[in-house]
Amino acid sequence: MAAPTPSLSPRERAPLVTDAIPPSLRRHGASPRQMLAICLIGAIVLAFFASADTPGWAERLGDSWLDHRLRTITGAWDEAMETLHLTDPHERLRAAMGRALDWQWGGAGD
Amino acid sequence: MLFPTLDFLLFFLVVAAALVVLERHFAAKKAMLVAASYIFYAAWDWRFCFLLAGSTAISYVAGLLIGASDDARYRRTVLTMGVALHLFILGVFKYLDFLVLSANQLARMLGLQHELPFFEVLLPVGISFFTFHGISYITDVYRGDVRMCRAPLDMALYMSFFPQLVAGPIVRAAYFLPQLERPADEPIPIAAALLLILGGMFKKVIIANYLATGLVDPVFGAPDQYGGPDLLLAAYAYAVQIYCDFSAYTDIAIALAALCGFRFPRNFNQPYRSLRLREFWQRWHMSLSFWLRDYLYKPLGGNRHGRLNTYRNLMITMLLGGIWHGAAWKFVMWGALHGGGLAVERMSQPLIGQRPASRLGAIVSWLVVFHFVCFAWIFFRAEDFTVATVFIAGFAHGWREPIQQAQPAMVALILIGFAGQFLPPRSFERAGLALARVPNWGLGMAMGLLLAAINALGPEGIAPFIYFRF
Repeated sequence: MAAPTPSLSPRERAPLVTDAIPPSLRRHGASPRQMLAICLIGAIVLAFFASADTPGWAERLGDSWLDHRLRTITGAWDEAMETLHLTDPHERLRAAMGRALDWQWGGAGD
Repeated sequence: MLFPTLDFLLFFLVVAAALVVLERHFAAKKAMLVAASYIFYAAWDWRFCFLLAGSTAISYVAGLLIGASDDARYRRTVLTMGVALHLFILGVFKYLDFLVLSANQLARMLGLQHELPFFEVLLPVGISFFTFHGISYITDVYRGDVRMCRAPLDMALYMSFFPQLVAGPIVRAAYFLPQLERPADEPIPIAAALLLILGGMFKKVIIANYLATGLVDPVFGAPDQYGGPDLLLAAYAYAVQIYCDFSAYTDIAIALAALCGFRFPRNFNQPYRSLRLREFWQRWHMSLSFWLRDYLYKPLGGNRHGRLNTYRNLMITMLLGGIWHGAAWKFVMWGALHGGGLAVERMSQPLIGQRPASRLGAIVSWLVVFHFVCFAWIFFRAEDFTVATVFIAGFAHGWREPIQQAQPAMVALILIGFAGQFLPPRSFERAGLALARVPNWGLGMAMGLLLAAINALGPEGIAPFIYFRF
């Protein structure tokens, strides 16, 4: 079966919809290497300041040797961050949000 | 694997590392992204991967057969078969038990004793989205809007690309496949991507999650227990919740695609500022609206064959759009309301015009459209049709009862959610340009700190995105 040259309508090359990221923002960018570096820095900062949630995450993992090892590591990591007081902002923000949620019309919540 | 989780962060770090290694090997990069997408999908249920692969194969073969032939009849037959196969798969997994239930109800009404057994088919996550991708591709090849895809790898990536796989946006073949022909010659728009991720996380983790657990779920769960103010605020809260939930998913999807070097279309554009219902549909889940317009409304005749046919086509399109969301009468009602609303709006256009003529007219128009949309959302959110009617009947009483659920924090979240709808049109662009001036290490630090803050402010545990079930 010979493949005919497909005749394309003029619409083919025209975008059917608008790009979500405007062209002006596409001019400022990074290489994949820089993107990876940014993601890694973000992940490290997150590991420092959001360590309180990692033991809970590790608890939900399976029952393999690796999962048990991960539980030990995340527990130790969280304790280390607590010693350095890096978990304080997390706890303060969570407590502040809790107070805001408890606030009731006509007075404080219980 | 949900976006706002540690599992996904680890998954994406591996993908990002692989993108660096394969930076100069475009075919290998595409193969890696296909493999990553299947791993991502298998995290829900590995069996679904066979369905995704089958759907991809149908689209690929149908596209080749259509594209390689110039026999109009043959092309039409293949198109019909390809679309029918996709719809058959969708029908089996999504609508079979609904059809059995409806048939049994009808049988009971007719006094028949025999009942059909339920199949209890497990609904694969995102099946509607990849089915729409497949149909879109076959139809576009048939219409000549896109070249047939000869590379199986490109087709596999188009159908399975993980950012959009489970909840869209629906990316058209004519938009995405050309991006797979050669590597992008532009940098990764990192500032815009990070802004979209942060905004999406804030909308999902804080606004949508708290509104769901603190107000929407309790009130919609037992609407007869609440008075008018709680019901009204729960209806507003759901409007904000579904917007924040769904737009958060697509914002993060757009950002992830950008980080992988691909463009995605815009899916939301401040829908609750619409002054006409038609405008709402040009701003809400745009990729679905345009899909329905191009593959359903227009083939039905669109507005080309007189007024009555236009109204009929609007109604059919919106009814099917409603049923697409799920096999339940409440979605039929939601679709019927929007179809009817669009038809009435079109009917009254000589009276009300395309746009309101005065400021007062604009305010009245906005109030009408917004409350109509909220009213329709009640059917969409309620457990079933009966609960929706109980909810609506509740508006008639209890206006003097004290507020139980809609406490100040909930009202504040509703207002914050609404505030985003009225930001100046170019505010995202301006914020992105400001962020682009920050050095890369600063971007990484800021990203980590802000994500940690969002994580701390949000509730423990993340509910799945609403649109996963569609």
